[in-house]
Amino acid sequence: MAAATERFIHLSRPLAATSAGLQTNIAPLTVNIQPQAVLSILDHAVRRDARDPAQPSRVIGALVGVRSEDGTEVEVRSCFAIPHTEEEDQVEVDVEYQKNMLALTLKANPRESLLGWYTTSLELNNFSALIQNFFGSPDTGTFPHPAIHLTMSTDPGEGIETRCYISAPVTVNVDRAAECCLFMQVPHKMLYGDAERSALGAIASAKDSETRTAPLISDVENLGQALEQTISLLDRVSEWVNGVLDEDEEPNNALGQYLMSALSLTPKVDASQIEHDFNNHIQDVLMVSYLANTIRTQIDLSQRLATANIVSVEKEGENKGEGEKSGGQRGGGKRGGRGGGRGGGQQREPREPREPREPTE
Amino acid sequence: MSDSQKEAPQAVQVDALVSRIENLPHQPPLTTKIISNALTSSKLQEVVIKIAKHCSSAFPTTATGAIVGMDTESLIEVTNSFPFPTVEGSSTDSHQNDASSIAAQAPRQKSSLSYTNEMIRHLKEVNVDANSVGWYTSATMGNFVNMHFIENQVHYQKESKAAVALVYDASKSSLGNLTLRAFRLSAAFMTAFKDTKFTTEHLQKSKLTFRDILTELPVTIRNSHLLTSFLHQLPAAPTEETVEPPSSLADIHRSQIKPALNPSIDTLDLSIDPLLEKTCDLLLESIETHYTDLNNFQFYQRQLGREQAKISQWQAKRKAENAQRVLAKQAPLPEDEWQRLFKLPQEPSRLEGMLNAKQVEQYSKQVDGFTANISAKMFAVRENLAPQ
Repeated sequence: MAAATERFIHLSRPLAATSAGLQTNIAPLTVNIQPQAVLSILDHAVRRDARDPAQPSRVIGALVGVRSEDGTEVEVRSCFAIPHTEEEDQVEVDVEYQKNMLALTLKANPRESLLGWYTTSLELNNFSALIQNFFGSPDTGTFPHPAIHLTMSTDPGEGIETRCYISAPVTVNVDRAAECCLFMQVPHKMLYGDAERSALGAIASAKDSETRTAPLISDVENLGQALEQTISLLDRVSEWVNGVLDEDEEPNNALGQYLMSALSLTPKVDASQIEHDFNNHIQDVLMVSYLANTIRTQIDLSQRLATANIVSVEKEGENKGEGEKSGGQRGGGKRGGRGGGRGGGQQREPREPREPREPTE
Repeated sequence: MSDSQKEAPQAVQVDALVSRIENLPHQPPLTTKIISNALTSSKLQEVVIKIAKHCSSAFPTTATGAIVGMDTESLIEVTNSFPFPTVEGSSTDSHQNDASSIAAQAPRQKSSLSYTNEMIRHLKEVNVDANSVGWYTSATMGNFVNMHFIENQVHYQKESKAAVALVYDASKSSLGNLTLRAFRLSAAFMTAFKDTKFTTEHLQKSKLTFRDILTELPVTIRNSHLLTSFLHQLPAAPTEETVEPPSSLADIHRSQIKPALNPSIDTLDLSIDPLLEKTCDLLLESIETHYTDLNNFQFYQRQLGREQAKISQWQAKRKAENAQRVLAKQAPLPEDEWQRLFKLPQEPSRLEGMLNAKQVEQYSKQVDGFTANISAKMFAVRENLAPQ
């Protein structure tokens, strides 16, 4: 599933610096970003040290993830922050930190590798070029693959815009090659799998609340919400259809066809067959539920009996085994007998925890 | 995290990048700056998705990791998480169980501890409020109550009383509803575990039952402002006020609707039976465990009975001997020598049984949840296909 895709014409991809005559791939490059990377970046943006005016207004970090075999598709899986400072004419990146953190991250995810870096402003400047060249360099970076640069606007009160770049070396003067490069925008999309779907849903449930918090709700509540939403969507559709019938709305062939094909998907089945299947299935489900609760009660009972003080008048009176299905032959009475044999405690009959729950029919 | 540790990396900033800058003309000398922890905003969001990702990518093997954040008086704020490194052996299917158990043991391993410390040190440097507040693990259909879980949690709770275990249920979450629960061991259980007092006698005294092992904590999710604004862009709202009606079916198919993230329509999926089936399997497994436990105990009972019979036999014999010696005016032999001669078997620990009972309780509650869900869905299906 892709969220936030955009149309993109990809013209050509710049060549990486290949002095050694390496075969370079000039096929288009696509960047897939997983939501947890985006969230980490946003989190990092919030944690910027705002007290010190000398601190740069943006933060940077490294992108970690996997690359497809031919290198035409990369997937950003995670990222980590790197401390850096920027002043008018110099930038410092804690390279040692980056190296250690990368090693730590890769230790837990051995299949991933360094992909590039991110920053939290859309601006590209000299420093960007410097850092980009650092991340793309052979000994510390992603060479021979191009380093990816992800920019994300995090200005308050405005939409969050994401852009992805790769770079080509460009310079007019060999001495200044390190601080120059040509950024080329590449298409990117945000991808999430089924697994993150539910987590994203839970996060999104907090988006309309004032406190920005949301409790985790149970399955049934969730089902209720989903049903309500579906009903309201259906209501909207039928409202529109009624509007068309009343000639209030402009009819639309395509929508009509779409609705027709959707409705024709309903299977045609015999009503009695449905009734039969329905009853069978619901009984199965309720039976499972009933049995599960019975088992729970029995285990509960057996646990209580195991630790209960049993009156030693009838040594074999109560036994744990009786709680079990085939308790009779198992001679589990010893357990009860033991409790009695100790005889230290008060004389206390074990209480039956509760009757097996009735099925909720 | 001592201050010296925190400051250490500040000194080592001169590196490739910096040396390049130095080559530039008119470059002032390098300075270093100490970054202070300024912001204390916190939430759970990113953690949720990180855990979800890690656990489901490792599925069906167990995945574990650490969670960091802040522990305030009534609230534990989890702000970040990272997975524990596991020894990546030949992780083929045949080794699945090995990988699982290695991962399950990871939180209390020494290497993980140093890894955690190292990671926390690094996270602190970028203003993340990183204090270890616990760990997380993945589970399948709620099958997390086992010895690994208890031992890990004991390990963490010994360090800090507030430590929590987050349990992410990978298979239940795939149904569309996130299942993330927070647990902590009760204080009573902790004391009992410390002294390994799980004999019948102790349990009778302390009245500790399987219900008192774990306390569940409510989990809420909190987003930052920035994230909230990002979520409002996802899926993107239509840019124009009125949407152009499509001119053909192909148009509709081309621009697929992006469903809202919440409430998700995945929950309307009807195929819940496999999950019910899996839970039943797990329940049966638990019953097996229960029987094994029971048999162990019965074995112990028989052993004990036999030994006790032997002892009383010996005592009777000794008594008779002593009576004779008294008659013969000899000093009586000591009567408590049996303590040296016979050894009573150790009572097996009740802990396994208790955990199993807790597990069964989990399962049956889960089944109840499924039942509620599926009966609602089934009534909906019936009404839809065969309207009354």
